[in-house]
Amino acid sequence: MKHIRRCERRTVLSGWRWLLAICCAVLPAMPQISVEAQTERQSTQSTASGSELSPREKKVIEYLQGVWGKDHSVMGVDQAMEVVGSDPSDETRFRIGQHIKQHPELHVIIRRWGWETLVLTPDEKLIARAIINAVREKKPTPTLAEIAKAVAISQNDVKRSLTMLERYQILKRDEVVGGVGYAVSAPRYLNWHPRLDFVFHRMTVSSGRHTSVN
Amino acid sequence: MLVSNKYAKEKVVIEDSSPESTARIRVEFDKGKLRKVEPKSAVLFMGGG
Repeated sequence: MKHIRRCERRTVLSGWRWLLAICCAVLPAMPQISVEAQTERQSTQSTASGSELSPREKKVIEYLQGVWGKDHSVMGVDQAMEVVGSDPSDETRFRIGQHIKQHPELHVIIRRWGWETLVLTPDEKLIARAIINAVREKKPTPTLAEIAKAVAISQNDVKRSLTMLERYQILKRDEVVGGVGYAVSAPRYLNWHPRLDFVFHRMTVSSGRHTSVN
Repeated sequence: MLVSNKYAKEKVVIEDSSPESTARIRVEFDKGKLRKVEPKSAVLFMGGG
């Protein structure tokens, strides 16, 4: 009986030694794992805090949620920013647009018409279309001057719009393609129905209403 | 529909584009009636009453 108990104790002790050995072997690897996990969490947190909107930016989103779908409204971010009196910078517009892009659950209009319809300005849509149509039609990528002429805006405004399209990952810098040096970043933009992509219908009413309609 | 109903007493400007190119199109309505289309070559389909 005593022999059996000793054997049991030995087995338990031996088990504990194995467990200790495993722990000792695992421990040196732990800091690295925990650092990696923390880094990942931090990067997620920084992304989240980076996309955290200011009260004024949230007000723009709330305003849009209130008007989208009413009287066929697909109001754009830039239009809502003007109504709310938000800072009219590209940076603010991008932050709000990025939030809409990342949160299609906010409104059925985002899911129905796509975030691109709502966050891009008419100029940005036309520039995207100029570059995408050239690829579709197997023509050379248009130059900065050609885009400016086609869209009827200044070259500086084209540059600003290209930066926004790049930030939204619709276009990407690619010197190989020639021309303005931007290529389409996702094949889905080439596969969109040619007559339904990057459309806009901006409406201004004499009583003061500015919106976009579908 | 909006032009001929809700905004039937107002002036409405629609800024649009050719679906096949980068050409801009501007359409003006006044009191529900079409007043101006630019460029004149634009083909306009109106529906909705």
